[in-house]
Amino acid sequence: MDALIDQLKGEIIEQLNLEDLKKEDIDADAPLFGEGLGLDSIDALELIVLLEKNHGIKIANPADGKKIFQSIRSMAEFIKANKK
Amino acid sequence: MEAYIKGLGIVSPQKTFDTNDFLSEVVEHNSKSLNCIEPSYKELLNPTLARRMSRIIKMSIAASTVCLRDAKIEIPDAIMTGTALGCLEDTEKFLLAIIENEEQFLTPTSFIQSTHNTVSAQIALQLKCMNYNFTYVHKGFSFESAVLDGLMTIAEGEAKNVLVGGHDEMTEKFYRVCDRIGYWKKEDDVPTMELFESKTSGSIAGEGAAFFMLSHEKTENCYAKLRGIKTIYKPESNIEIEAKISELLSSKGLTANDIDVVVYGINGDCRYDKTYNHLKDSLFKKSTSTYFKHLCGEYQTSGSFAMWMAAKMIKTQTIPSAVLIGKNKSKQIKNVLIYNTFLDTDHSVFLLSQC
Repeated sequence: MDALIDQLKGEIIEQLNLEDLKKEDIDADAPLFGEGLGLDSIDALELIVLLEKNHGIKIANPADGKKIFQSIRSMAEFIKANKK
Repeated sequence: MEAYIKGLGIVSPQKTFDTNDFLSEVVEHNSKSLNCIEPSYKELLNPTLARRMSRIIKMSIAASTVCLRDAKIEIPDAIMTGTALGCLEDTEKFLLAIIENEEQFLTPTSFIQSTHNTVSAQIALQLKCMNYNFTYVHKGFSFESAVLDGLMTIAEGEAKNVLVGGHDEMTEKFYRVCDRIGYWKKEDDVPTMELFESKTSGSIAGEGAAFFMLSHEKTENCYAKLRGIKTIYKPESNIEIEAKISELLSSKGLTANDIDVVVYGINGDCRYDKTYNHLKDSLFKKSTSTYFKHLCGEYQTSGSFAMWMAAKMIKTQTIPSAVLIGKNKSKQIKNVLIYNTFLDTDHSVFLLSQC
């Protein structure tokens, strides 16, 4: 799980151009939206594409998005549970 | 239609970002593509928005911010920009992603930022400015169209202070495409500071973002008065060009003899320099001749660099030696005329006078 969290941190920094952040600056349990990283709705779309492109996972039910994108850890758990 | 230039801000291949400086140090690129010298964006841009911005958006926001500060205006009554290429880097990124990912996994950011009106929109977003906002995309007349709209809006009393700008960026891919159709010089070594002397075809590529605050009222810090602009599409002869210039001058009660300095858009391409040479040796033989594309390169909205240069010459009453062609014949700089053409198709004339 730790390796996947570390990988996700790197992917998010690159995809969302979080140039000033390093992996160690990001708390895996901190909220991604609002507080924490302070991401917005455009970033949410980027994260959906990231899941599909890098991990081959589509979010079937959009209502699950809020739970999946709660934090980096929740994203990692979702990937682990759905990876074929 | 006239307006005062109350403030300006420019990011260019020269050290022009400091509004108090006027080409005190000229940067010799000696390259066929001149890239902008970018300022530090940290104190100028909202970091949340900046992380999504491409180079041209950052340069434009920085130039417009400096312009607003220079004019001491927080919210303009209107924002008009001109750009031929829009946000080219993001367009390339988006199109490349379509090809590489076989039309799947398309991310929204580069698509959203790739539109031509992104810069105008981002300026408005940063300022929370809900006023008139327009972007003109007309190749070599893009900046000129924005200026014309600015002058008309002020003349009709719909706005008092209008932010007008021109911006275009050069990317590696676009440079290569243009190179194939003969835009740029073929020789390996191009001494840019000797561009005026060049006898070969092709020019050097450039880019830039320049913004001006046009105002209805004269203030102490005004740079110059923008007295008029004229565009000429594919003129048939030098006679037609001379007639259009004379028309503009006479409408302001001036003749060619009243023009102290002419800023020519000479770009070192022997195919297109004939008009400039003709004007220099006939209509404006008594005026001081200057040029600017050796400093900023050739691009569709380069007229904005010329307007910055003319406004600075009038305000400082100086002509930097790097832009002079021949001798400085002017004791005082009252009236400056800009004559510029992009590929001999889009010709434009700007008239600026001392306030």
